[in-house]
Amino acid sequence: MVQDKTIGNRIFDTVNYTLLLLIALLCVMPFIYVLAVSFTSPAEVAKGGLILWPKEWSLASYRYIFSTNTLVRSMLVSIYITVLGTLINLIFTSLMAYPLAKTHLRGRQTILLAVLFTMLFGGGMIPTYFVVKALHLTNTLWSLMIPGAISAFNLIVLKNFFQQIPDGLEDSARIDGCNEVGVLFRIVLPLSLPAMATFGLFYAVGHWNQFFNAILYINDNTKWPIQVLLREVVILASSSIGDSTIDSTEIQPLTIRMAVIVFATIPILLVYPFLQKHFAKGVMLGSVKG
Amino acid sequence: MKQEMYAPAGTPVANARAGKSKIGYLIKDIVRDKWLYLMLLPGIFYFIIFKYIPMYGVTMAFQDYKPYLGFFESPWVGFKHFERFFSEPQFGMLFRNTVILAMYNLLFFFPLPIVLSLMMNELRHAKFKNFVQTLVYIPHFVSWVVVVGIFYILFTTENGILNEILYQITGQKIAFLLEAEWFRTMIISQSIWKEVGWGTVIFLAALAGVDLQQYEAARIDGAGRWRQLWHITLPAIRSTIIILFILRLGNFMDSGFEHIYLMLTPTNREVGDVFDTYVYTIGMTQAQYSYSAAVGIFKSVIGLILVLGANWLAKKFGEEGIY
Amino acid sequence: MRKKLALLMGSVLLATTVLSACSSGNNQNAATNSPEASQTPQAEAKPFDLSIVVNQVGEIPPKGNPIEQALAKYTNTNLEFQWIPTAAYDEKINVMIASGELPKLMKVGYIPTTISAMKEGLFWEIGPYLKDYENLSAQPQSYFDNIQVEGKIYGIPLFRDMGRAVVQYRKDWFDAAGLAVPKTLDDWYNVLKAVAEGDPDKNGEKDTYGLLLDKNYNQNAASTLTRLSVSQGGPNKWGVDDQGNFTPEFMTDEFFATMKLFKRLYDEKLINQDFSVVDSATNDKAYESGHVALRISGGNAQTMLTNLIKVVPTASLDVAPMEGPAGIRLPGESGNAGMLVVPKSSVKTEEELRQVLTFLNKLLDKEMVYLLNKGIEGTHYKVEGDFTIPLDKDKDFKEVKPYRDTLIQRGDNYNMDKPMKESDLFLKNKKMVRENENYVVKNPALVLDSAIFTERGKELEQMITDAETKFIMGKIDEAGWQAEIEKWKKAGGDQLMEEYKAAYLKDKQ
Repeated sequence: MVQDKTIGNRIFDTVNYTLLLLIALLCVMPFIYVLAVSFTSPAEVAKGGLILWPKEWSLASYRYIFSTNTLVRSMLVSIYITVLGTLINLIFTSLMAYPLAKTHLRGRQTILLAVLFTMLFGGGMIPTYFVVKALHLTNTLWSLMIPGAISAFNLIVLKNFFQQIPDGLEDSARIDGCNEVGVLFRIVLPLSLPAMATFGLFYAVGHWNQFFNAILYINDNTKWPIQVLLREVVILASSSIGDSTIDSTEIQPLTIRMAVIVFATIPILLVYPFLQKHFAKGVMLGSVKG
Repeated sequence: MKQEMYAPAGTPVANARAGKSKIGYLIKDIVRDKWLYLMLLPGIFYFIIFKYIPMYGVTMAFQDYKPYLGFFESPWVGFKHFERFFSEPQFGMLFRNTVILAMYNLLFFFPLPIVLSLMMNELRHAKFKNFVQTLVYIPHFVSWVVVVGIFYILFTTENGILNEILYQITGQKIAFLLEAEWFRTMIISQSIWKEVGWGTVIFLAALAGVDLQQYEAARIDGAGRWRQLWHITLPAIRSTIIILFILRLGNFMDSGFEHIYLMLTPTNREVGDVFDTYVYTIGMTQAQYSYSAAVGIFKSVIGLILVLGANWLAKKFGEEGIY
Repeated sequence: MRKKLALLMGSVLLATTVLSACSSGNNQNAATNSPEASQTPQAEAKPFDLSIVVNQVGEIPPKGNPIEQALAKYTNTNLEFQWIPTAAYDEKINVMIASGELPKLMKVGYIPTTISAMKEGLFWEIGPYLKDYENLSAQPQSYFDNIQVEGKIYGIPLFRDMGRAVVQYRKDWFDAAGLAVPKTLDDWYNVLKAVAEGDPDKNGEKDTYGLLLDKNYNQNAASTLTRLSVSQGGPNKWGVDDQGNFTPEFMTDEFFATMKLFKRLYDEKLINQDFSVVDSATNDKAYESGHVALRISGGNAQTMLTNLIKVVPTASLDVAPMEGPAGIRLPGESGNAGMLVVPKSSVKTEEELRQVLTFLNKLLDKEMVYLLNKGIEGTHYKVEGDFTIPLDKDKDFKEVKPYRDTLIQRGDNYNMDKPMKESDLFLKNKKMVRENENYVVKNPALVLDSAIFTERGKELEQMITDAETKFIMGKIDEAGWQAEIEKWKKAGGDQLMEEYKAAYLKDKQ
């Protein structure tokens, strides 16, 4: 890339780099706090204050949370529903978004309006439960994937992304004899990798954070994802002691809480760096056009 | 070939002028687009089954819903809950607080992810860019309980880190978490801190679609960075910005219950109590399903009006809008 | 090409239908290895199938664990526990009620939703049956009184102490400064001032408080304001006279004097200035790191001491009852952590109801009392003389506590001849709580029915609790406080008092 070497540009770059670095540090600090507390001994935490580096290292909280297989088991459930669920999401959403991106399609506005309407009005928890139950999805992991197969928000924004793709590119495929499904999978999707990565990420994070539907739809707690556990640990720790008839255990709840947060958050945090290469500027578009 | 296949037939105006029967054209269009319609089917089924079939639940707002009676046995009460809601003495205050907070959000929060992603877009070291991107997106995964907890450690008057620094400099402490005048500032800055990085993701994807050749051409023409930004980058993501703005308006009245609730104190409730927290308080002594549903419908209707209005306006200005 | 894509397309569409069609049989998946071995060894008589829905406590115990097996064996039941996380307990219960998927026994709170379900006849009225069950009928009537609805009893309470409030204080500091546990409000002021300003930890810094409040300091049964004002002779939430006229606590002199005490403490920076935002967990840390002298608590002092001596090894704690000028006096709490009810939709016959009650009754047999409170001998505890010794508190926490907290037991108050060996402080605190029961002041409005309370009880309460905080913080003066009370009366307070009076007089007949 050609570098512009004017003074103005240099000042701009310096300010820009410094500012972004500061913002990035500001963003990561609390997570460092969470991480640090999870590795700190309970006694140290009891003294209070902001901990950014454990003075007395302790693995007690991690030993505690790994003392049963619940955490690992629910983590596997989470990974399973996240991977499979996101795949279902992307297929269903792009299948629907692509035709809706064609402005000549009859009935398109009506459908879009109907979709938009569901963003604002919904029947609520109980009627939805009845549908999920009628389809025999309750007590299966499908209940965490199918009822949310398409997000209206993602659909509308993805439709908008598809609309930006120049028609010329699609036409060449049509001349090659592809039908619309072929155009979508051979031309449009490869051209929309940044969008796919984005919505894949949105969906994946959505699946990862599910806890309410799991409790609602699934009675068998061995099928619950990790967020159910996380929620319970956080809530339990925030309610004060004094109700129990026995002493609280030796371990400071805060450190355990933080350890669970770390364990439940790291996997989904790792998704983004892997997707980043698809955000590289205009790769596909440039090459196809050139 | 494609020209005659698509462009003319797609415009109803052209059909009408051709003088043929409209139904004939409709059928022809549908046959022509059969693949597209087929692709729509799973999605349409999805929305019907999971969104429209349960929609009867909306009737709850017009009943005295009781779980053990269900939707068909619970007594109908018409607009009783709406009447109660509108005649509450706090209605005015709640409405004002909700709207002001929403406006603050649109003004101070909404543009920031765009600015941040444009800043990141100007970074040339790919590694640094990835590094920054990864870090700014982390706070999204920190729950509100933890965020509010961290803000407490920083801002409280009892050994709060920032207040201690403030005390060293000015000799005074500010009760950021208690004073009503600081409430909105705290709420917005927490939202910014937590969600701005996450908000950049979608704009970065939009920016990735910008054709690099345009920049090169502009550079050859001698356009500086600001002009490139103004004439190439921004127009490229304009439609995404507009779409997101319009969709955001749909949730205009949603204030983020958990966040607000955690920040409410007796001394800031006069500016902090919003519809979402009010409904929660009411529901604490009685799960007033119907009443909550009525408030929800009120919020949604406002959202719908805003979305449709904004979309209409966008179309006036030649934008694509939502539909 | 086209065919291939059509095939792909078709399979996607097919997948949708397959997914929804075959899912009920889809109990397997990559991630779960559910221990389906829930069948307990069966005994002579046909075991009774009993499904139980309770809230999750800590970690969910695996199905068929030794505690559950022991429970099932002794009570001759096929137990099916369903543990629901607190985060969605109420919603899940609502869905269960709406879809008619109720268990035979479930835990609910004494809250308006449940109360209205009881009035509608959703649950069995078990009051008349209790006399046939020796353990159930042996429990003090007051526990049942506190969960009655229109004079009827629909559940078995999960028993908790009624008079939990005690004063826990740093004995080492009090001894060194020659202080005594306060009785009058003036005492309270003097003691708290002496501790906050006397540098009891001798570190040369002004970093100690006499007492910390948290943001729930005036909420619910554990309200510090209520506890203190009751000790001074005030009512517990509501006062009632012979004619049945109800007066809320905040309109009494004792309560206002207590508020003025805290206002003074706040003004003079003798209590934490951020009390209206701080949560109890943060305060616990301050207590446990040795910065505070005294607390009014419903927990056991030993819990605090255990953590405290890790930071301050020389610290010592002692407990004292809530004593005012006229002796010990404290507010009575509800005496339960919810109750177990029997839905009529799943328990259809009286015979079945009796089986459920038999199960509950057996839980108070000696064997089950030991099981629920201490776990399994040899695993969780051992017997030594007249006491039992806990063997593994972590294990107890994970394996026994979930059952102890959700099934009925009364600790060593009933059918337990060998209590747990505990520290002197723990036992002193516990004994004090038990004796407190003789001094508790009841909340006369606890089980009274009021339409306005159901509709906007929390709103009214919040109006006053907010005003209390504002008064203590100096945001409103005495005139402002009186104005808030007037506002409360107009917003429904007057109606609330009238409705309580009517309900009270009706109950009295």
